[in-house]
Amino acid sequence: MDQNTPVAITGMGCLCAAGMNIPDCMDSIFKGKRNADTPVAFSTSHSTSYPVFEIKEDIPNVISEKKSGPGIFRTSELILAATHEALNNASLNEKMLHGKRVGVCIGTSVGSAMNNEPFYVDYRNGGYPEMEPIHRFLNSNPASCIARKYHFSGPCQTIVNACSSGTDAIGIGMSWIKSGICDVVIAGGADEISRTTYNGFISLMIVDHSLSRPFDATRSGLNLGEGGAVLVLESKEMINSRGKQAELFVRGYGSACDAYHITAPRPDGKGLKSALSYALKSSGKTVSDIAFINAHGTGTPDNDKVESRVLRDIFPDICFHSTKGYTGHTLGAAGAIEAVFAATCLEMGKTPISAGFSTMDPKLKVSPQQKIKPVNGSIAISESLAFGGNNSVLVIGKGDGH
Amino acid sequence: MKISVQGIGIVGGFGCGVVEFKDVLSSGECRPSTTIITTNGKEHETPVFLADTSGLTDFIPKRSLRRVDYYSRLSLLGAFLALEDAECTETDRKKMGLIIGSGYGASKTTFNFLDSYLKVSDEFSSPITFSNSVHNAAAAHISMLLKITGPSITVSQFEMSFQSALLSACVWLNENRVDKVLIGAVDEFPDLLGYCRQRMFGSEQSKASSKIQPFEFGSQTAIAGEGAAFFLLSRDKENNSKYGVIEDVILGNCNGKTISPPEDAFLIIGADGHKICGEQYASIIGKDTETASFAPLYGSFPSASGFDSAIAAICAGRGMIYAPPAGISTDTNIKTIHREKNIGSKKICCLKLGPNGDYSLITVGGL
Repeated sequence: MDQNTPVAITGMGCLCAAGMNIPDCMDSIFKGKRNADTPVAFSTSHSTSYPVFEIKEDIPNVISEKKSGPGIFRTSELILAATHEALNNASLNEKMLHGKRVGVCIGTSVGSAMNNEPFYVDYRNGGYPEMEPIHRFLNSNPASCIARKYHFSGPCQTIVNACSSGTDAIGIGMSWIKSGICDVVIAGGADEISRTTYNGFISLMIVDHSLSRPFDATRSGLNLGEGGAVLVLESKEMINSRGKQAELFVRGYGSACDAYHITAPRPDGKGLKSALSYALKSSGKTVSDIAFINAHGTGTPDNDKVESRVLRDIFPDICFHSTKGYTGHTLGAAGAIEAVFAATCLEMGKTPISAGFSTMDPKLKVSPQQKIKPVNGSIAISESLAFGGNNSVLVIGKGDGH
Repeated sequence: MKISVQGIGIVGGFGCGVVEFKDVLSSGECRPSTTIITTNGKEHETPVFLADTSGLTDFIPKRSLRRVDYYSRLSLLGAFLALEDAECTETDRKKMGLIIGSGYGASKTTFNFLDSYLKVSDEFSSPITFSNSVHNAAAAHISMLLKITGPSITVSQFEMSFQSALLSACVWLNENRVDKVLIGAVDEFPDLLGYCRQRMFGSEQSKASSKIQPFEFGSQTAIAGEGAAFFLLSRDKENNSKYGVIEDVILGNCNGKTISPPEDAFLIIGADGHKICGEQYASIIGKDTETASFAPLYGSFPSASGFDSAIAAICAGRGMIYAPPAGISTDTNIKTIHREKNIGSKKICCLKLGPNGDYSLITVGGL
């Protein structure tokens, strides 16, 4: 397959604090709802309360495993629920996919970490903790959970690239289709709210004690969130074989390292620029083709400073927004959730207000969009910046794939 | 798909570097060290193949490692050794990709981070420990110290971590996303893992004097290990390597069906003394397939398939497959390799089976 050939998105699924499926998420976002609150999943001893974007409703249980055996992490429940919606949306089911080369590529952070506190505390205190949390950890690899549920026989890959994991998973999934390794790839990301990451981000002093304000002059950090999102990527042959026609495509993917600092982004934005350049090149599109950008926009002083610089330099006239004001920063899920949002905005023909922004930072010299806007074009970009200096970019398109 | 192995950097219980690894492969002998694992107040002297990262200071000053944890040091040492082995002196590494596959990641640091707030209160959480506990911290340290500015991913897929990472490395090279990929398989041995193994395998857990018996498929003889195996890969057309060529990477789930490894290739199996996987090997290996396992030389850990791939690449490069490790018993139904053999035109396949039907097959050809 030609490297500029786009890969079809035939189904999508998403759940997060904004909603339990894509229509609910978009409805909530365009109404400007910000469903953040103090954490419910855990208690903390911090003197300040930091809001999180937590899913309050029950996650749809799409597997029976929960009832017997060690169970699975909440992260895996999230990705299974998103996959369920995405496959329904694609009009695909397990029977139709039987015998096809179906791969699974999922990004996560918390979902691949063994940090069960009660088990660890008991162990550390010389106790004799039972192994159930360990069996649950071993049972919870997000990519494997999907493959196991649907009896997929293709490659599985769980990408643990911090906050760019979801974007990278979609980029890798796209490559698996292009290279002919798979007929279908379930690609996305998921992460749950956890006390471990909550404490970690607070210790780094990059969490806001009020609602986050990406790109705003008064921004002082991010809010954590949780969620899961999935894209069903299909080969042209597979789509043709079932008489379908795709309207959304992943057109390009670029990724580059800052090689600068373990948590802070490179100030000159060179890594992000490099990722953008590769993503655009691989999509066969140019800057002038871009209708809008879903920025990483965490609300941390450093991220927004670097991202603004790059947006100003490369896309001075293109509108951008951050959706983290509606979802919180969902870490390994963020890239996938935002790819779904970007694709859905292309479909809907409108983009949302960048929540939390009101005052332009004179040092940034850019402003995200402050009102709902129509989409003028058919190509969008979704950006992710991550700990470890990762920068990853997806180019998403609407149309007939040409 | 033909991917050239330009250099290998390997560190584990056997020692450090390809030369020491070849020595161990030639001798067929490697003894694990021992550690004390405590469960329920009882101490167990347990064998473990532990690595030594002190050689890292040959590449970077000690002061640069002040905030670098053991897992990242293990990774860095593997990465430096691979570049040195490949004689890769280029300084512009923007077309070099970086991929790490690890079953458990930086577990020790993850637990250290939990300690930082569980001991006193949440407000005492350590930012430095948290930063280093993030899964891709090792890749970040490598990219910073080796100035790699191409794409980077870290993969965690338990015992398929390395193979899954390798699949993506080959795809990146084939689609010309990068010119080279530095890929590594890394896992460390935290005390907590020792506790878990003791709980899971109990009396079956290997004694200090025992040996992994990969062909005693029905027995639990696994001995834990740790280490890093890094490879510098490039497209085959640029091949001037002293190692073999990766010709195919297949992974997936057999979903109850029987997979058939090629009978006309030498087979290096990832059987490492875990009986939950061992019995599956017995059922699928052809009776005429010449088969070997080298796990007794480096131990059992999730990303150890990287070690098997290193052995395959080394053997393909020298045209000879090593004799099996000393003192392992064989299975009468499997044609095990008994002595060092000429490979001729045969390929070497590395087969790994996971506990839930997952499998991988990496095919390595000669030069």
